[in-house]
Amino acid sequence: MASKGLCQERNNTENEESEIVPDFEPGASLESMLVTTDSFEELEQEMDSSFDERQMKESTTSTISEIQEELHDTTIPEDSSSDQDDKLIENDEVEEVASQLSETSLTSNEEGNTAATPVGSLPEEEYWQNPEWKERKKHVFILSAAGKPIYSRYGSEDKLVTIFGVMQALVSFVQTNQDTIRSIHAGNSKFVFLIKGPIILVSVSRTTESVSQLVLQLTYVYNQIVSVLTSSQLTRIYEQRRNYDLRRLLAGAERLIDHLLNFMEREPAFLLGAVKCLPLTPSVRDSITQTIVQTCGKIKNLVFGILLAKNQLITLVRMKKYFIHPADLHLIFNLVNSSESFKAAESWTPICLPKFDSSGFLHGHVSYLSDDCQACLLLLTVDRDVFFTLSEAKQKIVEKLRRGNCLEAINESVNRASYTASQVGVPEMRHFLYKCRSTAQFWSPALEPPYHVTEESERLLGLYQALHHRLHAASRPLKLLHQQLEKETMLGWVTSGFELYITFEPLVTKHSAINAVNKLLRWIKKEEDRLFILNAPTF
Amino acid sequence: MTSKSEINLQNFYVYNSAFGQSDGEEDKKILFYYPPKTDFDTQMKNVGLSEAIVKFTDTFSSDQLCEALHTQKSRQLYYQAEGGFWMVMTVGIPFVTKVKDGTEYFEYQSDDVQDNVYLAVLRQSYQMFRLFKGSFTSILSNSRGDVIHLKHKLDHFFSRYLLTLKLNHSDILDIFQGIQFLPLDKQTFLHVQCFVNLIEATFAQVKYTAFLYNDQLVWSGLEPEDMQVVYRYLVTSLLPAHLETELQGGSMPRHPSSPFLSSHYGRFVTGPANLQDASGGTGKVPKVYVNNDATPEIYHLVVYRALSATVCLFIEGSLHLNLDLFKRLDIFLGPQLTTLVSEVAEQCGRQAAGINANSLDPSPKFVYFNKLNLAQKSTVHLDSRRTGNVAVTPEVLRLLADINADKARMSTTGETILKTMTDYWVVGKVSNLREFYVVIHQKNANLIEINDEVKRLSDSQLKSIFFHD
Repeated sequence: MASKGLCQERNNTENEESEIVPDFEPGASLESMLVTTDSFEELEQEMDSSFDERQMKESTTSTISEIQEELHDTTIPEDSSSDQDDKLIENDEVEEVASQLSETSLTSNEEGNTAATPVGSLPEEEYWQNPEWKERKKHVFILSAAGKPIYSRYGSEDKLVTIFGVMQALVSFVQTNQDTIRSIHAGNSKFVFLIKGPIILVSVSRTTESVSQLVLQLTYVYNQIVSVLTSSQLTRIYEQRRNYDLRRLLAGAERLIDHLLNFMEREPAFLLGAVKCLPLTPSVRDSITQTIVQTCGKIKNLVFGILLAKNQLITLVRMKKYFIHPADLHLIFNLVNSSESFKAAESWTPICLPKFDSSGFLHGHVSYLSDDCQACLLLLTVDRDVFFTLSEAKQKIVEKLRRGNCLEAINESVNRASYTASQVGVPEMRHFLYKCRSTAQFWSPALEPPYHVTEESERLLGLYQALHHRLHAASRPLKLLHQQLEKETMLGWVTSGFELYITFEPLVTKHSAINAVNKLLRWIKKEEDRLFILNAPTF
Repeated sequence: MTSKSEINLQNFYVYNSAFGQSDGEEDKKILFYYPPKTDFDTQMKNVGLSEAIVKFTDTFSSDQLCEALHTQKSRQLYYQAEGGFWMVMTVGIPFVTKVKDGTEYFEYQSDDVQDNVYLAVLRQSYQMFRLFKGSFTSILSNSRGDVIHLKHKLDHFFSRYLLTLKLNHSDILDIFQGIQFLPLDKQTFLHVQCFVNLIEATFAQVKYTAFLYNDQLVWSGLEPEDMQVVYRYLVTSLLPAHLETELQGGSMPRHPSSPFLSSHYGRFVTGPANLQDASGGTGKVPKVYVNNDATPEIYHLVVYRALSATVCLFIEGSLHLNLDLFKRLDIFLGPQLTTLVSEVAEQCGRQAAGINANSLDPSPKFVYFNKLNLAQKSTVHLDSRRTGNVAVTPEVLRLLADINADKARMSTTGETILKTMTDYWVVGKVSNLREFYVVIHQKNANLIEINDEVKRLSDSQLKSIFFHD
C-alpha cells in the first residue's frame, strides 16, 4: 500500500529482487514496551494550539499515586491517605534530593561546577563581548519567568546578566499581546524560545536544525530539570517565591544538562523518538529478561526493570498496564551516562520520569552488573524503602546471568564492532537509520568513513535532521523525500509501519537506490530478532 | 474541517533609530506606520520591540541581519532596506477553530506563512517604493536631511501600496520576481528590435524602451534588476487596471473626431486619455527612479498600448512633457505597433496551439526560473495576475518554496523529489543559477517513472537548457 510509491517494480526481469509486500515492516511487533506516540508531532501540535494544556493535566491523576493506590487497594484497602502522605514526603525530599544528586550521582568535581566551563580566562566583562563565546555553535540558556539566570551552556550565568535580562524582556513583551514568542531568525542563526510554566528556555543555534527540532531539544532540557525536581515541586517553588534562585536546587544537575546537550548533538535517537537496542541473539535476550522477571516478579511496587549498555537497551521489563516513553528512557540513558559514580557503587536515586508522571518521583536502584560486565541495571519503584530488597534482587540477577553465560554474551555484543552499512551488501549505501514505528525502536549501523570523524558525523546527523524535518512537517507531511546534494544523496521514506533514512553516494541512480531499499529492508527483516526487542515482557 | 482564517497584514513600519537619539525626540525614528490609526504608544512599543530584536540578534551574529520573528499568532519580517533604515511587516498567522473536550480553541497554521516568501514581499515593497520615489537616503539628501519630506513620501506611497498586497496569494514567484519572456522566431524578434531602435532614434528624449506582448516581455533596454520591478508593476498593477477601465468603457472609438487616425488601435496607458482635447492635459505620467545602486536616473514612464502589445518609453525626467510630444509619439507608434502586434500575435497563436493550460489538466505542471536573465515560466499559475488562479493545491505550491528554502544546502546543483500524503509528486532541480520545479499528480508512479517524466518535460519545454543529472 504505502510502499508502492517507492518500491513497485513493474519489470522484474531486470531487477532480480522481487517486490516488497505492502505491509512489510521489519522489527514490527504487536506489543511494545515503549509509548509510540511521536513526541515530535505531539510537540508541534502543542506549540500551534491555543488550547490551555494545564487544564487538561490537572484533571488526569498522577500515575504514581495510581499505582500506589492500586497496590493499597489490594493490600490495605482502608488506607486512603497514602496519597497525601506522599505529598508531604515529597516536600521534605526536595532539598535532600538536590544534595543527593550532587553527592552521589555525579562526578567528583561538583564544587567547581559553575566555574568549570568558562571560555578562556575572562576579566570582569560580560561574555557577549567575547567573540569566541559568541561564535559557539549552540548556546542554551535557562532563566526563570522573572528573569533570574538558571543555566548557561557556556560560561557562568553571572556574567550574562544583560543577555538574560533581554531574553526575559522579549518574552514578557510578546506576552503582553496575548501572544507567545517562538523564534527569531537571522541568516542561519536561530533563536528559539520555549516557555514552560515558570521557566524560559532559549537556544541560540547556528546549526541546520529546524525550529521544531530545537524546541524538542529544549523540551528535553526542561524534562531533565523536571526529572530532578518534579514539575509539581517546580511550580510550588515559584508560586512561593517568584524570585527564587533555582540554581540552589539544581547544583549538580547542570552536568546532566551539559551532558544531555552534547548527547543530543550526536545521537539520532532524540530526533527519531526511538531507542536503539543492543544486538543479541533472541535466546540470550529472552533468558536475561526471564531472569529479571523471575527474580523481581514477587517484589511489589516495582514499575520498571531496565538493563542497558553503551546507550543501547538490552531489555526492559514493566509492570502490567504501564509503558515507558522513549523520551523518559533517553533521560535515563543520560543519567547513567553522565554519572561515573554509578560504576563505583550501587546507588539509590530518586528519578522523576516526566512523561510517565511529572508530579512525583520514582526511586531507582542503579548499579552496573559487575566489574567485568559494564551493563547498567535500573530497578524503578514507587516504594522508597526497598533499597535492600532490590539490592538483594540485583545480586541474584547477576549470579543467575553469570551462570547462564549471559554476562559473556552481553560483553561480546558490547565489544564486537557494530555492523556497518557495507555489510548489508549495497555498495552505494553509506549509512542509514531505520525506525520501526510500532515499537519506537530504531537501528543504525556504525559510522564508516567519511563519517568517522566528529565533524562529518555531526554533518551527517544534520542531513538526517533536515530530511526528518521536511518529512514530518506538521502541515505538509511527506511520504517520500529524495535529495541529491553536493556530497551525498539522501532518501527518506515514511510508511505506516516504519521510517527509513538512507545516505547514498552522491551519484547513485534512482534505480540502484530503489534496489538498495529493497535489499536493506530484507536484510533488516532477516536480522530483526537480533536488532530489536520484539516482545514487551511484564513482571 | 472548519474554514481557515486568512493571512492578514497586522502592521507595517519603517524606522531608523539614528533619528530618535536625543531624549524627547524618540518619535522621530518612526518614519512610517501602518495602520495609521494606531495610537502613538503602541507604535513606540512595537518599534521598540523591533529595535530590541535587531540588537539582540546582532549580539550573537553581527554578520547576519535579523530576518524574522515568529510568535504563535503572528509573523514579523525584517528588512534593512538601506543602512539603518529597517522595514518591518507583521502578518497574522491563519488559524482554524477546533474543539477539544468541549472547549473551543484555535490552531495556528504557522507553516502557511513561509519566511522566504514574505521576506520577498517585503523586499518588493521597498523596491517598488524606490522605483517611484527614489532611495531613502537620496530623498533625505535632497531635502537636506529633513525627515518630514521622507515621511511624506513614505506615507504617500505605502498608504496605497499596502492595500494592493496579495498576501494570501504570495508564493515562490515572489521569491523569484522573474520576468516572463516571449520566445519569438528570429524574424519577428528582429522586427520588434528594429521598431524599438527606430523609436529611440526618432525620439532622442526616449532613453530606454521596453516591449511587451500581453504579460510577456519581448525586449527591454533597461537593466534587468530595474526591469523586474517595472515588469511587476506593469503586469500586476498598471495593465490589469487599464484593461478594466477599457472593459468598462466598452468599445468606445479611440479618436471619435478624427477619422484619419482611427486606422490604428494605439492609446496611452499613462499619458493623455484624449489627444484631441487639450483641456485634459497630458494625464498622469509616473516618474521612475532606476539604476539606484549606482547613479540614480529619473525618467517619465510613458506606456503606450495597441491591442495586446505594450511599449514602455523611459523619457528623460528633466524634460517637461507636453501634448505635442504625445501627439507625435501617437502618430509614430500607433500604425507601426498595430501592424507589428498582428505579426507577433500570429507567431504566438502558432506556439499556443501546442500548449493548452487548463486547471483540470492532469499533465505535469512546472515553474522555471533563471537567475541570470531573470526569465521565469510557470504552468502552475494559470495567469500572471497573482490572484490565486493556480493548477495545484496551496500545500503543494508551498512545497515549492520549501524546496527553494533548502536550496542553500545544495551548492550549485542538486535535486529534490518528494511525494506528499495526497500523492502529489514535486520535483525541484537546481543547476547553476537555474531552478526547475515540477508537480505531477500521479498516484501509482514510482521514483524512476517520475524521474523520466521530468526529463521528458524539461526536454520538451526547456529544449536548450542543460541540467545535470
